[in-house]
Formats: sequence, C-alpha cells, structure tokens
Amino acid sequence: MAATATKTVDFAAERALAKDFLANFAGPRGEPKYLNILQDVANRKIRAVQIELDDLFHYKDADDEFLQRVTENTKRYIGIFSDAIDELMPESTEAYAVDEDRDILMTQRVDEGADGGADGTDPLQRMPPEIRREVYIKAFSKVTPLTIRQVKASNIGQLVKISGIVTRCSDVKPLMQVAVYTCEECGFEIYQEVTARVFMPLFECPSQRCKLNKAKGNLILQLRASKFLKFQEVKLQELAEHVPKGHIPRSLTVHLRGELTRKVAPGDVVEMSGIFLPMPYYGFRAMRAGLVADTYLETMSITHFKKKYEEYELKGDEQEQIDRLAEDGDIYNKLARSLAPEIFGHEDVKKALLLLLVGAPHRKLTDGMKIRGDLHICLMGDPGVAKSQLLKHIINVAPRGVYTTGRGSSGVGLTAAVQKDPVTNEFVLEGGALVLADMGICAIDEFDKMEESDRTAIHEVMEQQTVSIAKAGITTSLNARTAVLAAANPAWGRYDMRRTPAENINLPPALLSRFDLLWLILDRADMETDLEMARHVVHVHQNLESPALGAYISAARRVVPSVPRELEEYIATAYSSIRQEEAKSNAPHSYTTIRTLLSILRISIALARLRFSETVAQSDVDEALRLMQMSKYSLYSDDRQRSGLDAISDIYSILRDEAARTNSMDVRYAHALNLISRKGYSEAQLKECLEEYASLNVWQIHPNTFDIHFIDA
Amino acid sequence: MVGPQYDLVGNPLGAVRSTFERAAAAAAAESGGHEPVAAFRGKDWGASEVFRSFLFEQGGLDKVPVLDESNLGLIKPNTLVRFRGMVQDMLGNEFYVGAFKDGSTWRTNKFSDSSPFSMPHPCDSHLWERHLFHCVPVPGQNSWTRESSPGPDLRRMASCLTSEQREKRKRGADNDAMDVSESGSGKTSSSSKKTKDGVQISNSSVEMSMNEEHVPEMNGGDHHIPGSSFSCLVKVYDMPESQVKLNDVSEFIGVYTFDPELAAPSDNSDDIMFDLMEDVTAQLPPSKVPRLHCLVWRNLSAHDFLSRPPAVEPSPILLRGIRQSLLSHLTLVLGKDELAAQCLLLHLLSRLRNKVDVVTVGRLSLNFTGFNRESVSIFGNQLNNLFQRLLPYSQVIPLSIEYLNTATLQPRKDNQSGRLVTGVLQLPQGTHLTFDETLLQSGSLTSKGVENTMLLKNLMESQKVEYDFEFYKLEMATDVQLLTLSEGKSNILPSDLIVSFRPSSVPAVNASSEELESWRWYLATVRSLPQSTETDTYQMIQDEMVNAMRDDRSLGCSELSRWLTMAQIMAASFGEKSLSMEHWQMVKELERLRKERLQ
Repeated sequence: MAATATKTVDFAAERALAKDFLANFAGPRGEPKYLNILQDVANRKIRAVQIELDDLFHYKDADDEFLQRVTENTKRYIGIFSDAIDELMPESTEAYAVDEDRDILMTQRVDEGADGGADGTDPLQRMPPEIRREVYIKAFSKVTPLTIRQVKASNIGQLVKISGIVTRCSDVKPLMQVAVYTCEECGFEIYQEVTARVFMPLFECPSQRCKLNKAKGNLILQLRASKFLKFQEVKLQELAEHVPKGHIPRSLTVHLRGELTRKVAPGDVVEMSGIFLPMPYYGFRAMRAGLVADTYLETMSITHFKKKYEEYELKGDEQEQIDRLAEDGDIYNKLARSLAPEIFGHEDVKKALLLLLVGAPHRKLTDGMKIRGDLHICLMGDPGVAKSQLLKHIINVAPRGVYTTGRGSSGVGLTAAVQKDPVTNEFVLEGGALVLADMGICAIDEFDKMEESDRTAIHEVMEQQTVSIAKAGITTSLNARTAVLAAANPAWGRYDMRRTPAENINLPPALLSRFDLLWLILDRADMETDLEMARHVVHVHQNLESPALGAYISAARRVVPSVPRELEEYIATAYSSIRQEEAKSNAPHSYTTIRTLLSILRISIALARLRFSETVAQSDVDEALRLMQMSKYSLYSDDRQRSGLDAISDIYSILRDEAARTNSMDVRYAHALNLISRKGYSEAQLKECLEEYASLNVWQIHPNTFDIHFIDA
Repeated sequence: MVGPQYDLVGNPLGAVRSTFERAAAAAAAESGGHEPVAAFRGKDWGASEVFRSFLFEQGGLDKVPVLDESNLGLIKPNTLVRFRGMVQDMLGNEFYVGAFKDGSTWRTNKFSDSSPFSMPHPCDSHLWERHLFHCVPVPGQNSWTRESSPGPDLRRMASCLTSEQREKRKRGADNDAMDVSESGSGKTSSSSKKTKDGVQISNSSVEMSMNEEHVPEMNGGDHHIPGSSFSCLVKVYDMPESQVKLNDVSEFIGVYTFDPELAAPSDNSDDIMFDLMEDVTAQLPPSKVPRLHCLVWRNLSAHDFLSRPPAVEPSPILLRGIRQSLLSHLTLVLGKDELAAQCLLLHLLSRLRNKVDVVTVGRLSLNFTGFNRESVSIFGNQLNNLFQRLLPYSQVIPLSIEYLNTATLQPRKDNQSGRLVTGVLQLPQGTHLTFDETLLQSGSLTSKGVENTMLLKNLMESQKVEYDFEFYKLEMATDVQLLTLSEGKSNILPSDLIVSFRPSSVPAVNASSEELESWRWYLATVRSLPQSTETDTYQMIQDEMVNAMRDDRSLGCSELSRWLTMAQIMAASFGEKSLSMEHWQMVKELERLRKERLQ
C-alpha cells in the first residue's frame, strides 16, 4: 500500500521536482502555463491552482512512478505542490483593491517593518499562504471514470475519477481554514492553520515577546480577519446505466471546497475527480459507530456532461459483436428486424426507426446556419397497432431518451415553463421533455393531442432545435437537439381510407412537413406470410437474444460520412423528378419542398453510417428514396392500390418513360433496378415485369446482363 | 483445520478470532513480520470454512436458532443465528477497521460490531469493507414455509453463553467506545503516513456530545416498511457483489448483535457541518434493528421450504400421479369446472423462461371472468386459501378505485434518508398475485391512481416494475404469477389467457397435509424442470401454426406465442423434458373448449 511506498521516497526531491515542473512546464503555445496561473493568483484574479495530471504526464522529468505516487498518495502531494507553489509565488504586478481585513493587517505589518523582526521566524506569526490560494490536482482527462460501485477500500487515499448524478446538495457553509488572533499583551497577530474540522483554539500568546515576559497574553479570535473556506456537501448517485441488473444505485458523499462550491445542482450528471478518504468519527458519533469509518470524496475537479450515444461504453465482448455484425452484409435488415422483436412485420417502419436512432451529423454552415441531422418520424395508425410499444422500445435502446405524451405529464409540458418557486418566490426555468431529451430521442405519444402552446413551440424545436422562452422577465433559448419520434391517432379514431391523409391527420401541414418520414401503420401488414409469422413465434421461444444494438448504433454515430460530388447530381435529379411528378398530378398528396431534399440527404447519410462508410453511396440514396416512397404509399390508398395490384404495368411505364426521356432504346438493368426501387418496387417485381413484357415482345432482355432493349414497333 | 474448540453456536466470535490469530501468526512467520494481515482483506482465512463444515457437514444447522420477531429479545447477542428474509434494500459498503495491531498481536474485528480488545492509539490498522443489506420477512410469505425450519429450543440455547464471556463482552464494548473516539487518524490505512488533516479532537467537542447523550427515543418502528417493524441489517463479508440481488430470498447465518440498551443519538447535534454525511444505518438504530454479521449465506428456492423433500428422482410416473390428484383437487375447488382447473394448473406452473427488454417468454397470466361479488367470496376465498397452502408467497390485491388511488405500489428511493421505501410491488421472484377486480366500480382515478394502473399494466405485459429513484427510474425484472378475477374481461390488466369461469357446484373440499406436501413438491419441482425440445418438433408446430392461421384469420402473434408457452408448460406438467405433438394437441383442445365458452 501507499505506506510502504512512501517510506523510501525522498520528499525534498519530490518538492524540487514539483517546483521544477511548475516553473518549466510549457503550455500549448509555449507559454509558462503554471507561472502565468501563479501570476494571476498573486494578482488576486483567481484563487485556484489546478495541476493537471495530463500536464505532468507530458512533462519530461516526471516519470510514471512519480505519477503513480501522486495518484496514490494525493493528499500528501497536494501539500508538496502547495509548498512548491508558495516558493514560486511571484509578487503581484497589478494593483488590487484592498478589501479584506487581513490585507489591512498585512499592510500594517509590513509598515511596522523591523518591529517584528525578532519574531519573524515564528511560524505562528507568519500569514499562512493558504489565505491566498487553493491547490487542486486534476485526474487524467482521458481515463474512464469509475462508477461509485467500483470505488473500494483499496482506493482510499487515492485520486479517483467517478461519474454520477447529483441527488442532494447542502447549503454552502463557512469552514475555518486560518484562525487569526490578536494578543492583548503584545499586539501581535497570531495565525493558526486549521487542517481538520475540529480544532483547539489557542488561548496563550506564543510570541517570543510574551514568552520572554511570561505574560501569557490573552488571545482574541479575529473572526473578520480569519480565513474561511466555502464548504458544501453533495450526494452523488450512480447513473442508471452503471447499475447492474437486480441492484440498486449506490451513493457517495462528496465534499466541495472553495471555488468548487455551488457548481452543481440536484439532477446534474457530473464527472468528478477527487481523493477518496475515510472520515474519522469523533465525539459521540464515534462511540456509536464503533469501528466504522465513513468515507467521502474530496473533490479536485468537476465536469458536467451529457450522456451521448458516442460516449457509450462498450461492455465485455461488445466490440467483437460489433465487428462481427459489421462484417455481415445484411446488417441493415438484421438490425431493423431486431428492433422490437415482439412486434411482427412492419419492416420498413423498423428500418426507418433504426435510421432515426442512427441519425445524421449536425452541420454548421460557414455563415453560422445550422442544419439538423436528427431525423423526425411520425407514426400514425389506428389505436392498438403497437405504436406506443414501438416508441417505448426505441426509448429503451437509445442511451438518452424521454417518453412522454402530447399532453405531457407535468405542468411543464413538452418544451419549457417558467415556474414560481414556492419557497423563494423566484422564477425558475424548467425544461420540458424536449429539453430533457437534448442530444437524444424524444418519443411523443398522442402527438395530435398536444397543447396549443406546445404546438407553436414544437415548430421551432423541430427545425432550429432550440426552445425559446420569453416569460416572466426571463428570455432565453434552451437547446433541444433531439430527434422527435411522434405517434398520432387519426382524427376520427380510425383511419378513414376515403379521406385524404391531411384530413385524417389532425395536424397542420407546416408541422407535418417537418417530419422526414410519416408512416401509417395498418392493423396487419399485408405482405407477410403466415409461415413467416409462425417461424417468428417459434424463434422467439427458442432463442431470444438481443444483439449489441446500442453498441452498434453508438459506433455508427461516430462516423461522419460525406456526400461525393458525383452523387449530388444524382440526388438533384431524383428530387426534381419527384417535384415534376407532383406538378403533373392534379391532386398532389405530398408537399415536396426543399425540406424533402434535406430529408433525402439525412436518410442517405444515416444509411452510410450504418455501413460504417465515410462516403454516401448511390445505393444509400436509392434506399432513402425507396423509404420515402414507401412512407407515401402507406399514407395514400390509391398509391397503395397501384403498388399492390398493378406493379407490373407501373414498372413498365417507368421504364418506358425513362427510355423516352433518354431518347434511347436501351435501359441498363442496374439503372432500371434503381429506378423502380425508388418507387418502392422489389427486384422480384422487376424480373416479373421483364419476363412478362418480353413474352409480349415489347422488349428483349440480354440473357446475361438482363439489360433491356426496346423493340421498335 | 482442527475440530471446533469453541462452541460455534454460543461463541462464534471466539472461533473467528482464534482462527484469525493463528492465521496471522502463520502469515507473519512466513513474511518475516511485514504486513502479515494485508493479504486477508476481502478473503477468508479459514473462519467461514469452519462454520460451513459445522453447519452443513456435521449437521450443525439444526442447532442454530431462526431469528424472527418472536424471539428477538430472547436470543443472546454474539451468538450464531439464522435469518430468512428478502433483501429489501442495499445500503452499500461499510468501511470498518478490519484488523489492528495490539502490541505485537494482530486482532480482527471482522464479524463483529466491537472488539473485546482495546485498540491502542495510534496503531497499525487496516480498513476493510463489508456489504450492508436491509432484509425483511418475505412479503406475502405463507405460514407453511416457516414450519420447515424449526430452530432449537431457546431456553436450552441460553445456557450456551457463559457469564464470563458476557462480562468480557460488556467491558470490551466500553473500552472500545472510549478508544475509538481518540484514535482519529489512526484509521487511515497506514500509521506511518501521518496526514496533515488528521482530526484533532478537542476536549470541548467531546464534552458537548456527551451532553447530548440522553436524546429522545426514536419514534415508533421503521416507517419504511408498512405493516411490519421487524427487519434485520445483514452485513455480508468477502462476497463478489453481484451474488446477492435485490428482492432475493436468502438465508443468512451469522453472528447476531442486538442491543436495546444502546440509545441512538440524534445526529445533527454533534456536527453541524455534515448535512449529508449521516449514514443510513442511523435510521436503523441497533436498538431497534438487529444486526447479523453473516458467516454463511445461501439463496433459497421453493424447494428449501419443503419440510420433507422426497428423496426420489422426479420421475414422470410419479409426477403424473401427483398431477392428477392436484388437478382433481383444483377442479373441486373451482366448482367442478375442469377447463378452468386445467388452465389454473398451467398458470401455477408458469415461470419466466427468458426475457429481453420488453419481450418475455414463459409467463402465463390468467383472467377468470364471470365472477361477481358473491362468487368471489366463495370461490375466490377458496382459491386464496389453496394458494396460501400451496405456494411460498402469495398475496391478494383488492382492485378498487380507492385502493388504486391510495396504495403505494411503486418502491421509491428517498434521497433524504438514502433508503429505498418499499411498495406493494417490491416482490421476490416467484410470488403469486391475485387481483380481485369485482370490487371495481366506476369512478375517477387520481394521478396516483393512473400511475398505479400503469405500473400494474407494465408488470402484466412485460414482467417488470419501475422503481423510482427520483432522478431516473430503474426497471427491476420480476417473475410474478398474476391471476385476475373479474366480471368481464379485464381491460385494466390484460392477461394472456382469458377463461370464462363456469362452476356447477359449491366447493367443499379439504386436503390432507400429506397431499398438500406432495403438491408443493410437485409445483416446486415442475417449475424448476429444465426443458429442451428438438428442432423437428418445432418444425411440426410451425406447420400447425400455419394451418391454424389459415382456418382463423384473426390469430395473431401473441396468441400463437401463448399456445407454444402453454404446450411447453403442459409437457412439463407431465414431467416431460421435451415438448411433443401430443401436448400441443392437448393445448389446442383446451383452446377449442375455451373459445366455445367465449362465444
């Protein structure tokens, strides 16, 4: 343990090394990082000196053993660094306001000059350096934080980094750090450093003069001159994802001092580095507790953070599983199927939801405009078609997900609310579900029953991804970078096929256009065969296992694919053809706008991410177009009719049009496949069409390549 | 190891300490006197082994008294006891001075709250850790399960403790309290490392706290456990953390300490600095909640409650016979409704076999429809009586508007006290719940009522209960059998299997205790039977399903899945390890009869 290590360590040498480090360590631009900090401290600009282990690690003279000694016996090394800092502390170069009593005392002391000379050597008569500075050692930033559960007796005295959620905060209280007395006899100030929570006040003046005179000068505690440190206690609880199955979260008491107080509030997810220490009981507590010691973390640094997919920690063999899945070509279908396995069929819906989980990266243009990367999806359908189940499942998979209903469960609603604190009468801002789901997914059930106030705000959330508040004197904008997954019931309880989707959906077009994909879920999917269903049931009973879905998605989200130049043309053509088609039709169903183009891009990028590919391929764009087409078919009954019954002739007309457009008699098979898959047809249907019309001698099919050649009639 | 020189039941700590001192001396001789006990952290030096062989190999288990509410004050402290209960709350780790050097000898405090030897100051000491579990009597535990573990006569036990030892213990405790208050920084892991902020105890602070000694008595029992004030704080040593889980039913055997004389101090008086430092054990004062320093523990299954488990192998022939007798008894209890009895049997044998996220395989919740208030009072009571005598844990929940609006179903973490406040749905695996929906009348639910309904629905649909941890919710997996008695099909609690109940006579049956015992054994055995079915059978069933779907277009995934579950349980009920088409046909026939009734 630490005890054996310290026996052989020469602390004077350690201090020299610490001093050397502080004096010579160069920051990223070559500046003397710590000397600059010390100068700021001397100038009273800041109080805390934070020594980063990262810097020590990069310092040439500090070897691994030194680092290890620092992390294992941190408390001691804070003392060593503090001594080094005090030796290096420069004179202040700027004038600062003399505002504290001890400054006045100090100036007086200096003015009196030689008067106290004889006593200068007495440590109790010198102002302790603690008055001016606080020293912290910050743990490695790269090290994965421990969970509270992993902090064991073997960590006592060590520098540890932990993550957790703040559940309680105490008031900030003063903690005496330096007690200052004045002697009634000799008039000297006596400084007493307080290192523990309980201290024995001095009663007799220890100065040379009083001792010589045997005056036993009476000391008077000068509270105004004494140095008090801010002190706050915080309870930290384990994060939900760190709690093993069948266990409940652990908590840990954390002590914050000085500049670190008032940095956290209940509900904050934080990462803290600090020294894990036992707290000796004293007084009556000790008698009751017997031989037990409480422990706490003396905090050295605090980092707030939000859990994102990208920070998903891989457990056990998950990396292996990801690799195995990535090698598998059929990953897209496989993962989509593994979403909500208890819900049979609806494969395209599941594919869309998978893409929602993956999303596309946010883009920030040079002019500061932001383009969202999150996909928004709206599921519609009759009550009881497992919409809510799908929503809940997605929330389960997503590392940061909030499930709520359009009505919202609290008064805060979906976006945010300004509320009056009953105790302080202060107005406080409370984030709603969308704000809480920042950087994650917000599933909103009963989207159509949303409150009017939320409905106006949600426009902003879905495009700008912020929530603006201007109420009760508070104007602010909260981030709500969230993917919205909405579920809505039809306006008349059941989806009425005879009416238009716009009539069926009780939502304004402006809101609908913000969804990348709209989906109508029917009672039972048509195409799946009975056999598949039976196989599904039996399979679930035989072996039920969840693939490393969360891990895979988090890995995929780290990829930032780009769209190659040659594909831009392709997307533009596809987009314009959708627009033209819409213009041709006398009753346009959809509102194809520039948003549609962005949707195509987003979906394509999400697909490329799933393949762990740095560039978007044409097949991604085709699949994106297919999904959009399928989502349209699900909504418009006449389209569905066409897709179901007259697929063959529709494919024929697509190919015919293409031939006419390009003014050629040939259509290559691969090209044909792209064209029809965009419209949501399968390869099998294409083949059927090819065969059927070939038999009618409309075209010839190349026996090997299947390329099409129209026979001029 | 040598045979027990100590009376392991009467003076377990003597054995613990003597084995320790011997092991420490041996280690010191080996390492040359350098940190000999450091290796014992988180390890057993042979003490647990002595107890394990005494309890399980030499039949010592029967000599150990079972701690319960009735004998709380009667058992002598620092003796060996057994406690059977459910892990209600996990209070985390406790750090204690595990070993210290008294002169030249190493002493240990493991398995005890205090040391008979005074701890010199300063001294070499080691800080070790132990897990704290708050255990309560199992909710819904039926009385027959207690018969199986009768402890020895307590009056005989009283003589086990010699007066000399008791004297010693008292004196030890006194010394100890004095010493610890002074030891201060000696508790940090090493004495050579004299940290700067070792606490200096001023006289004034000690005096101050002494004055606070006579504090008002803590009010009442433990308000966290409604209806019961009896609980036990179990301290478990050297255990990989994942072994004991929340809601596990376990038997802990260890050193019992309970000191009603020691008053609990009110905490806030002795240090205003620490608002949050109060440890949760302060609310479980040693004067109210006994401590058990666990030496040996084991998880209990339904089998462990059987008083005389038959030594025979569970052969299909034997199981078939018992099945028949149980089924005919169930039929009688259900007023000669054989279909209902068949379904009830399957329901009682169901267990969760697999679970991923929200998908569960193996559960079979049952809804008997056609009940009204009168028939519930007849058949419902009969059923409950039967469950109470057959199953280890069972509860009845009256599903009325008032109950839903007022009951606390959800366990919730109280961050102020650091405790898990239990709710009705904090249940051990394998509990049976009966909901009586006939009490339900039209009315309005409060927000709490809605929350409670959602919890019940979640439990029904995905076998999990959300525990509220204020800043987030944690889902705890459950394996609970759910039976609903209702007038029409229950929409609040959607069951897997809905059976219209048609009794034709009034039940008037009583089972002999031999019969009950065999049935208990049957239920426990069948539920733990492993199952494996060949792929061929699955293939055939798959074809059957396709045919069924052709005949009835309304069949859905959930129904097919339920059929397969029922067929698997049916096979198990006959003691078969694998499913055959025969069982599938039986289930189909059952389904046909059931559907006939629904029309």
